[in-house]
Amino acid sequence: MDTSRRDFLLKAAQGTAAAACGGLLWAAFLRSNAAAAVLAIRPPGARPEADFAALCIKCGQCARACPYDTLKMATAGDKVPIGTPYFVPRKIPCYMCTDIPCKVACPTGALDPALDDIARSRMGLAVIDEESCLSWQGLRCEVCYRVCPVKGRAITIEMRPRETSKHAMFVPWVHSDACTGCGLCEAACPTQEAAIRVLNPKLVQGKIGAHYRLGWRSETPITQEFHPAPAPAPAAGEATVPKKAPGMDYLNQGL
Amino acid sequence: MHLSRRAFIKSGIAASTAATVGLPIAKLTEAAAAEVEKDWQWDKAVCRFCGVGCGIMVATKEGRIVATKGDPKAPVNKGLNCIKGYFNGKILYGKDRLTQPLMRMKDGKFDKKGQFVPVTWEQAFDEMERQWRRVYAEKGPTGVAIIGSGQYTIQEGYTAVKLMKVGMRSNNIDPNARNCMASAVAAFMQTFGIDEPAGNYDDVEHADTIVLWGANMAECHPILWSRVTDRRLSDKNVRVVNLSTYHNMSSDVADLEILFKPNTDLAIQNYIAREIIARNAVNWDFVNKHCVFATGPYDIGYGMRPTSKFAYDAEKDTQAKELRVKLDRNEAIAQRRQAGEEVEQKNAATADKHWLIGFEDFKKAVEPYTLDFVAELAKADPDEPLEKFKAKLRQLADLYIDPTRRVTSFWTMGFNQHQRGTWVNEQTYMNHLLLGKIASPGNSPFSLTGQPSACGTAREVGTFSHRLPADMVVNIAKHRETAEKLWKLPAKTLNPKPGSHIVKIMRDLEDGSVKWCWVQVNNPFQHNANANHWLRAAREKDNFIIVSEAYPSISAKVADLILPVAMIFEKWGGYGNAERRTQLWRQQVPPPGQARADVWQMLEFSKRIKLKDVWGEQSVPGLKEEGFPDGKLPSVLDEAVKMGYSPEDSLYKALFATPDNLKVKWPDPVAKGHDNHIVSLLGDGWFVEKALFEEYARFGRGHAHDLAPFDRYYDDDVRGLKWPVVNGRETAIRFNEQYDPYVRKGAGIEFYGPAMKALPLGNLDAVTDPAPKSLAGKAKIFFRPYAAPAEQPDAHYDLWLCTGRVLEHWHSGTMTRRVPELHRAVPAAQLWLHPKDAEKRGLKRNDLVWIESRRGKIQVRVEIGGRNRMVQGYVFVPWFDEGVFINRLTLDTTCPISKETDFKKCAVKVYKA
Repeated sequence: MDTSRRDFLLKAAQGTAAAACGGLLWAAFLRSNAAAAVLAIRPPGARPEADFAALCIKCGQCARACPYDTLKMATAGDKVPIGTPYFVPRKIPCYMCTDIPCKVACPTGALDPALDDIARSRMGLAVIDEESCLSWQGLRCEVCYRVCPVKGRAITIEMRPRETSKHAMFVPWVHSDACTGCGLCEAACPTQEAAIRVLNPKLVQGKIGAHYRLGWRSETPITQEFHPAPAPAPAAGEATVPKKAPGMDYLNQGL
Repeated sequence: MHLSRRAFIKSGIAASTAATVGLPIAKLTEAAAAEVEKDWQWDKAVCRFCGVGCGIMVATKEGRIVATKGDPKAPVNKGLNCIKGYFNGKILYGKDRLTQPLMRMKDGKFDKKGQFVPVTWEQAFDEMERQWRRVYAEKGPTGVAIIGSGQYTIQEGYTAVKLMKVGMRSNNIDPNARNCMASAVAAFMQTFGIDEPAGNYDDVEHADTIVLWGANMAECHPILWSRVTDRRLSDKNVRVVNLSTYHNMSSDVADLEILFKPNTDLAIQNYIAREIIARNAVNWDFVNKHCVFATGPYDIGYGMRPTSKFAYDAEKDTQAKELRVKLDRNEAIAQRRQAGEEVEQKNAATADKHWLIGFEDFKKAVEPYTLDFVAELAKADPDEPLEKFKAKLRQLADLYIDPTRRVTSFWTMGFNQHQRGTWVNEQTYMNHLLLGKIASPGNSPFSLTGQPSACGTAREVGTFSHRLPADMVVNIAKHRETAEKLWKLPAKTLNPKPGSHIVKIMRDLEDGSVKWCWVQVNNPFQHNANANHWLRAAREKDNFIIVSEAYPSISAKVADLILPVAMIFEKWGGYGNAERRTQLWRQQVPPPGQARADVWQMLEFSKRIKLKDVWGEQSVPGLKEEGFPDGKLPSVLDEAVKMGYSPEDSLYKALFATPDNLKVKWPDPVAKGHDNHIVSLLGDGWFVEKALFEEYARFGRGHAHDLAPFDRYYDDDVRGLKWPVVNGRETAIRFNEQYDPYVRKGAGIEFYGPAMKALPLGNLDAVTDPAPKSLAGKAKIFFRPYAAPAEQPDAHYDLWLCTGRVLEHWHSGTMTRRVPELHRAVPAAQLWLHPKDAEKRGLKRNDLVWIESRRGKIQVRVEIGGRNRMVQGYVFVPWFDEGVFINRLTLDTTCPISKETDFKKCAVKVYKA
């Protein structure tokens, strides 16, 4: 076999290998990018992440429209899918413009045009770390409460006795039904690492079981005229004894 | 679209509810989500689980429970639940819910060696009847048994009592509550002459000293513990004491934790009594007016079989102590005898005997229980300095004795499931009575009840081998006559000889005395101690065991016939909780498949037995009662005919569908439209649950057990009522004239309970003057000594084993382990072990080990941290997990007076698997 053919075959093999490796690396990169989407704090009105990924054409109009330079378009290496808009509240929070220029500028509806009230946006959920929050240690801070634009609803203050001294504590609480995730709290928080930060609600929120209500939250008077469900048609005589019944197999296993 | 915040929350939850429940709603607008909840139907009910008795509300839609919530109007819990109660809506819907009768068959016939196959109700009852006739003909009333429950509804318990005691004339009906509350009951009856606590839960808010004795309230009475903890937090003067054999979650709130060795609670109580006397702190004004002193025999055995015939070789040494005990040094001091003395246990059969003594004798009896003696005997933690332990005991005495302190003592299984359970219950009353700290707000020796209706059903209705409703007993002629009159029965229908208690029923299955046994609303083959014996008895002896169950349990596995049952919200019913609060509920949803309520099962079965089958002459071996021929119940058929019965009448007609009961009609406006599957199935138009409730209530009304009318409990504004309910008013604190209408005017305090209120007089060792003296209106201060446990760790089995519970699971886990979330939270039982004990045995956390006793062995995983911290030499295993079947190891000692099993102390060894 002459060397040129051998070289060709060798180079072809190397090239395929390189491409395969590159492909693996790129696939890994894309996967980690996509996984990181859950960390992204999106502009107000952003659709759920799957829809957003489909609709966002990465045009950058939202970032241009933002008067505060809040929004960044993600570059390779950012922990966010490339080219999509996001913001880092600790650096520049969303200032909650009432005319929502970013949403207005979006050409594809990746930022939902139906959002008409900035207070109803849900960009993320603020979460307090009670160990590093100064107010939770008893100090007088509550900066987050004072800078919150949804004053008195997204963050409230609860007074409680300190007990170790004759001072009251003023502890902040976040309420998910009002918090927009704008991050003004995180930006303003005076601790070295922000003790309150905005995260994708999926990462932090639980859910009380659908089968349970907190008894005191809503009135549920006793039904005065109960309507039972119509009884199922009775089994046709005694002839319909099933061959198997729930629990039977386990019972027949014995001890 | 603008939504109020509340509507937003509600609709948000509704949206997720719909998704979980599987209703076909694809894309919800918020308005549509709110629509989903609009046609939910709500009603009040009670939690299925513990004796705290939280009130809940249940929402149903289309025949299914869609949600529950804590009832904010319920005084007990004010809208809260614990994590078990949180799942009330899910316990009905486990995947393997039994919906079909199952019977062991071979070649189309019942065969004890066969496998379970589905059968019809007709086939099931046919075989039940055939077996019942066979056994009843061979053995009479003592050959049949019903194992009932502290989780029976009031009506279920009452139906069972009537079926057994009136119908079959058998006293072999006993509940699992025997192994729960019997010691408490025996102590109530012996001390006060009447059952159940004087106080109520509000005592928590009035007390400033709360003492837990062997009761892990934090995990076992969670919502009541929230109240105790709130009390502790709200007032700097409040003190909480946790006396336990190991550190548990209740210790976390306690100011004072006292870890003591098994059985030494008996000694600690006497130390307190001795202190009260030594410090001249006896409330003589109270004691002289309201109390007497009493004592009883010490040589009462341990409730084991008196013969070793059935014992495994390994357990014979323990069993021998039933007949003879060699006193150790501590017992000798405690009982004023000599160390090493061998004492014949002569009073095992007469353990409840007691007599009056004088105060000087009482003082002499507690004299040995000095701080030095008791501290050395009781201290459990080898790493704790003795002086520190002594200081704790002194502090405990201080708290009880401080005249400014109002003391509430709480206890449950640590005291009741105890070889001297009746004694140690009585000792708590002893100290409260000596101090006069009883029957006033916050001053409350409060026996906590474990099960949701051990009070309301088992005790009040009398589903015990010796009881009748309203604190009456079968072996007192006057009581039988009263019951026979109320029940319109011929004289001598009722059997005067107490039947077999639950542990004895197990032994009777083993030795062939009982051959037909119906298990209802409990899991006795998992819960009884020394389980290997009873499992074999069930499978290998010639008997027929029927288990009515909701889920495939251990008891179902060893049964011959399994009957599917309706669960709590699938039937009308009622429970009575630990503070005497009776709460009733309506049927909310129909039972699934062929499942039917226990009351229906009993009523249908009762149609198959005629009076002529049972009210003729019956053999009751050992019966010796005035007016009865020896060993026999006379025929009452002639008398019955005179009263209008016919020998051909079925038990259904004679006992249940009586002319009076048939007058109680269905439908009834109290139902507010709710269904009643029992009434529908029976098809004869009488309101079963109401008629039976009112019939039962006649026993207690006017006798200090008054229940309100049935309908009153269903009024929208009522959340249960604490009996006695007199003239529409419930009773907060009994025996106190300010609150209790049964106390005579001007008496102030009166312990009016009638039972055992005439006693002979004697000294500490024997009766000296047999003529009975009346102690009407008084309570007894008992002297009871320390006694060592029957089985203790030794060289071969070197650890104590205690069993108990965890908050997440209920009893044998049949319901809670079928809630995926609860199973995930605590999937398996563990063995709690001190780290040093683990190290000594080369064990690490999570290691799989064998734990073995003389009676059996199982595998389990090790835990050395977490919610419990053991003392060295002592291990703990909860019993909710049938995969960690700890009762194969436990010892069937009982309190000889109450017959309640001691699940808290036996000897085991642990080694790597």
